[in-house]
Amino acid sequence: MHPLLASRARLGAYLLGWAPIALLLTGIARSQGWTWAEAACLALPLCLLAALLFLSAWFLCRALPLGRTIEGLGAHGAAWGMAAILMSGLWAGLAWMLARLLAWIPGLEALPQRVGSALPVLTGLGILLYLASVALSYLMLAQDRAIEAERKGAELQLLAQESELKALRAQLNPHFLFNSLNSLSALTAVDPVRAREMCVLLSDFLRRSLGLGERRLVALREELELARAYLAIEQIRFGARLQVLWTVDAAAEPALLPTLLLQPLVENAIKHGIAALPEGGTLSVAAEVLEGHVVLKVDNPLDADSPAPQGLGLGLRQVRQRLLGRFGSRARLEAVVQDGIHRVTLVFPLEVEP
Amino acid sequence: MKALIIDDEDLARAVVREHLSAHPDVEVVGECANGFEAIKAAAHHQPELIFLDIQMPKLDGFEVLELLEAEGKRPAVVFVTAYDQHALKAFEAHAVDYLLKPFSKERFDSALAKARALQSAQPSAPPAPAAELASSARQGRPLERIVVKDGPKVTVVHLDRLDWVQAQDDYVLLRTEGKNLLKQQTLASLETQLDSSRFIRIHRSYILNLDRLVRVEQDSKEHRDAILRDGTRLPVSRAGFQRLRELWEGA
Repeated sequence: MHPLLASRARLGAYLLGWAPIALLLTGIARSQGWTWAEAACLALPLCLLAALLFLSAWFLCRALPLGRTIEGLGAHGAAWGMAAILMSGLWAGLAWMLARLLAWIPGLEALPQRVGSALPVLTGLGILLYLASVALSYLMLAQDRAIEAERKGAELQLLAQESELKALRAQLNPHFLFNSLNSLSALTAVDPVRAREMCVLLSDFLRRSLGLGERRLVALREELELARAYLAIEQIRFGARLQVLWTVDAAAEPALLPTLLLQPLVENAIKHGIAALPEGGTLSVAAEVLEGHVVLKVDNPLDADSPAPQGLGLGLRQVRQRLLGRFGSRARLEAVVQDGIHRVTLVFPLEVEP
Repeated sequence: MKALIIDDEDLARAVVREHLSAHPDVEVVGECANGFEAIKAAAHHQPELIFLDIQMPKLDGFEVLELLEAEGKRPAVVFVTAYDQHALKAFEAHAVDYLLKPFSKERFDSALAKARALQSAQPSAPPAPAAELASSARQGRPLERIVVKDGPKVTVVHLDRLDWVQAQDDYVLLRTEGKNLLKQQTLASLETQLDSSRFIRIHRSYILNLDRLVRVEQDSKEHRDAILRDGTRLPVSRAGFQRLRELWEGA
């Protein structure tokens, strides 16, 4: 569908654009000694006709997209020229037929003869107008493409954000899951009561992760509960190697934050901290409210023989991106190593559910 | 048959022990919670079979096996792992048996039977060396650390602490934090495992950690020296200089 026919407003503007041309035609006719009646009766319908006929340029332009280079412009030019000659010939022919028809009206008897002598001028004018229409069509096509590209870009960006979040939510750590099931397998023989406890903990953790995955924002309380369920399972797995210290200020619990921000921090603390140390250590989670901001800290010991982590890993970068995506410059994430302790600190504004 | 169970999780070791209890001819001579313990226990007990976890603190399963090999010992190995797709590919490619946690009694018994068969029969082909398995499991990613056994002591050299490496016949001399360590490996095979943007073969006999290089001095027409941060001079061959130049020009 031609874009100018797609909306009434556009079509109206387009037809209005032809008004000066109609005036010009009338003026030329008058200067050639035509009567007012003759000039007006021919110019108006002819312009309307041209307006409709020359819309066809858009289809030609769409079929012959402009390349980035000058190559192929010759072939395009030939096509434009041929189309211009054809269409303006048709237009002039129709003008002549119209003149014959109008000649039936009293006072316009001389019209066919006048038009006959004006045919070369009409054809020339038609060619020019058609070429102008070609230029206009290319402009419209370029504009449409730009709008389309912008829309697609925005759509893609949205899609990427969505899929990234989905991937994050679906990111159930397989290493954790299979190791937990293996611990469970061991417990069934040696300690059925703890085996059952582990089943319940694992179900609890899975249910919470699935539930949280549906939402964008969540209260810190729920994130902490998920981390508690997770760490309870890891404590069964690691035994005496893992101690967990909770220091949570109740005022911080209702704070809203993007879903599953705490979980990657806790998983990192296990993977790079506790699991890498033969003797294990203490993982500490602390949350408090300071001057309208929530300060959330996760600490874990590091293996002194391993080189300290350089910069933020992928997991932490994602956490930071999502945190800043929600709170902008009002939030920050820091990761430091001091005295063999790796500490990640999140600071974000205290906002609660209305 | 003497067996050693190596896993950093108590419960994971318990499952293996429980399954082994159905095979009275297999004697569990030890349980180790990390790689260092495993090396010690292996030297002490000389096990014929080891159950080996891959992800452990300090030394991973591949490194444990590599150190045992360096001692001239290669017990039958059953790798036990929860989830490591790259390692699994490496095992499949090298026909190494493994157990996926959690595993069934049937699966465990079949792995044990295979290991037993391998142990009693003279295998037609020697088992794949641990270093080869590890490199295959890394999927082309460069090495991050090197393990060296120096007498009874095991040293883990993280590569950012490695200054340079010198070829010494079948050995490489690793220079790290003011110490020299010897490891049985050729310079060429070590070179293929290192990150080629960080470690440059500057000479037939030397690989240099680029981070330690201060400048290259030309003594005579055909003789150049690399000057390191600590003042050490290492010879740079023409091909080595060419490699350095390519790196500089590429950067």
